[in-house]
Amino acid sequence: MGAPVISLFWHFVTTAHNWSGRNGISHRALEHLRLSLAAMVAAALLSVPVAAWLGHIRRGGFVGQSAVNVGRAIPSLAILALLFPLSLRYGFGLGFWPTFAALVILAVPPMFANTYAAVRNVDPAVVDASRGMGMKPAEVLLRVEIPGGAGLILTGVRIAALQVIATATLGAYVGFNSLGSFINEGFGQRDDAKLLTGAVAVALCALSVDLVFGVIVRRATRWQRKGIRL
Amino acid sequence: MKRSLSKVLVVTLGLSLVLAACGKDDKKNDSSPTTAKAAKSSVPITIGSQDFQESKILAEIYAQGLKAQGYTASVKPLGASAYRKVELEAFKAGTINFAPEYAASMLEELNNKKGEATGDAKATTDKLNTYLPTVGSGLVALEPSDAVDTNAFVVTKKTSDDLGLTSLSDLATKGKTLKLGAVADCATNPNCVPGLKKVYNADFSNYTTLGAGQPIAQALEAGAITMGVLFSTDSTIAVKNFVLLKDDKHMLAADNVVPVVAKALNTAGFAEAVNKISAKLTTEELIKLNKQYDVDKADPAVIAKGFLTKEKLL
Amino acid sequence: MGPNSFIWWDWVGRHEHEIWLATLEHLRLTLLAVVIGLAISLALAAISLRWRPLYTPLAGFAGFLYTIPSLALFALLLPITGFNTLTAEIGLVSYTLAIFLRNIVEGVDSVSFAVTDAADGMGYGLARRLVTVELPLALPAIIAGLRIATVTTVGLVTVTGLIGQGGYGAFISAGLGRTFSTEIVVGGGLSVVMAVVLDVILIAVERFATPWARP
Repeated sequence: MGAPVISLFWHFVTTAHNWSGRNGISHRALEHLRLSLAAMVAAALLSVPVAAWLGHIRRGGFVGQSAVNVGRAIPSLAILALLFPLSLRYGFGLGFWPTFAALVILAVPPMFANTYAAVRNVDPAVVDASRGMGMKPAEVLLRVEIPGGAGLILTGVRIAALQVIATATLGAYVGFNSLGSFINEGFGQRDDAKLLTGAVAVALCALSVDLVFGVIVRRATRWQRKGIRL
Repeated sequence: MKRSLSKVLVVTLGLSLVLAACGKDDKKNDSSPTTAKAAKSSVPITIGSQDFQESKILAEIYAQGLKAQGYTASVKPLGASAYRKVELEAFKAGTINFAPEYAASMLEELNNKKGEATGDAKATTDKLNTYLPTVGSGLVALEPSDAVDTNAFVVTKKTSDDLGLTSLSDLATKGKTLKLGAVADCATNPNCVPGLKKVYNADFSNYTTLGAGQPIAQALEAGAITMGVLFSTDSTIAVKNFVLLKDDKHMLAADNVVPVVAKALNTAGFAEAVNKISAKLTTEELIKLNKQYDVDKADPAVIAKGFLTKEKLL
Repeated sequence: MGPNSFIWWDWVGRHEHEIWLATLEHLRLTLLAVVIGLAISLALAAISLRWRPLYTPLAGFAGFLYTIPSLALFALLLPITGFNTLTAEIGLVSYTLAIFLRNIVEGVDSVSFAVTDAADGMGYGLARRLVTVELPLALPAIIAGLRIATVTTVGLVTVTGLIGQGGYGAFISAGLGRTFSTEIVVGGGLSVVMAVVLDVILIAVERFATPWARP
């Protein structure tokens, strides 16, 4: 490695041709992010409301945690490999749907675990006070517990997002045209420039998302940190 | 407090060291057992296999066949999406010193697509041997076998009927809407996308990358792709009634199976030992062996053993 | 029953030996990565705690390593470090650093000031305080990090199956190539089992190592 690869890489990303078309950087990046976003939204819809409710009623902790532990350990590659032929057979085509399913399974555990813990561990005194003020259970959940646990919930989403963006690269192995394809092709064609492009592109996407979440988390928990200045 | 922390650390370290040792020991037990005859070659043979079933089976056939003749041999799988370019790199790095290859394809890879490969296996191999000495510390191709396996461009019967496709020449005019599915290195393989462009004037650079064999066949069957690159020894072609597009302009040449080895390995008697095995390989036999892998889900090692036993090489 | 059923138990029975070997290999790859990662992270954490300004860049670098997709990292390392355990381990260890470093430092940070003040008052030097007071009290956080890192690593080892390494990933990779669900289920399923078992062991270790935390 070293100087020649870096210059090959630079040459690759500065060639306009490599940005255009179906196999270009732009299209593949967009596809990659589109899939990641779709998986995140689906996973959030599946896990956050359920986890928040369970945390609120303080039930299902052990089962939930165990399911999360198991879910977290499922290798995404295995899900991809299993779903690929099934997806073809039942008309869902290759690429998108098997990868989508694997990514949703990947994203649910951290979001579920963090949301549950966040809602459940909000300061009991605050929850008590809000009940005392006459808030209905749903109100307590929405106006007190979720905002109170916002930092932790958003951190769960952040962790999930990073894992999803990184793992979406595996989709290339089941025909999903994305940034992972640069890695797959780069390896098979021994094109280190392509390899690096794929790696750098995914890393940049992940880093940007991480930075954005950093800002969001800080904003959402600002009121908790301000405290009282005497 | 100090004691609990130390306890934890000691137990963890001890456990991992034991397991690390376990892992290493089992590796030793699994490498080739010393045979009754003394090991003939002092250089251990490491056979590299590419990411498709036939490569894995052939690697095992040569490994076990050579072990039976007194050599020390083992197989090293090169991983997912590992094809000719990765294999060449492994040769150069010394990771492997033997690989089952295909005469015409390897020649066209090394001569920069000059088009020197012909339908004559011997002539093609001889030409290949003019390029091999410059690879790494020098490679040499031994005698080619009769078995041939080359790229097979297939479509479903329905597609063939609908679009009137029977040969690769039809692609330029009638094949414009086709979606190609092939392996990761198709874009740089002279007998794949570049060949289609050069010889048949058909541009398929936007193909879908899939794993070799079954994934492509199943995607083709399901209609997710409309043309697939399989290997001509893939039994699926006949079973699924795929239409093999004729190579009427002879893009594909003598892709006979030929063992490529590092010069250092080619000591006295070695070529004979290898040729003994190569002589038993035929195209029909390869189709049968591949089928065992694809349909019966048998392991390459088991398939190889069955073949060698049948051919009295074990 | 047969090769096309979801799990072909006959195949499983015939491959018990390979499955056992894959288990040992997977365990070896995981434990090596976690132990080495923990050791490096403890050193980095000690440095970060001693020289505060270094924490952000160190954590940032570890975080950056974490964002590189594992597949890319392995593929990039292959030409340099070869087709062997070293390549897999470099990648696997890198991913544990981000998890460990943050957990160790935050765990130590969360040790109450009263305790560290008392230690200082008793004449403990910084190193002694760290090793005999802060780290033991940060143990729950460290073990929490250990649990996450271990489970994550067990999962990542399966990806090394794509670069020819062993463990359960080899089954998944092979099963993907020939659409053989039994292999995939065996590889994936056992990977989950191993992760859960290791997780449970670590929970027990935490209870055992922090007797003061029990009511």
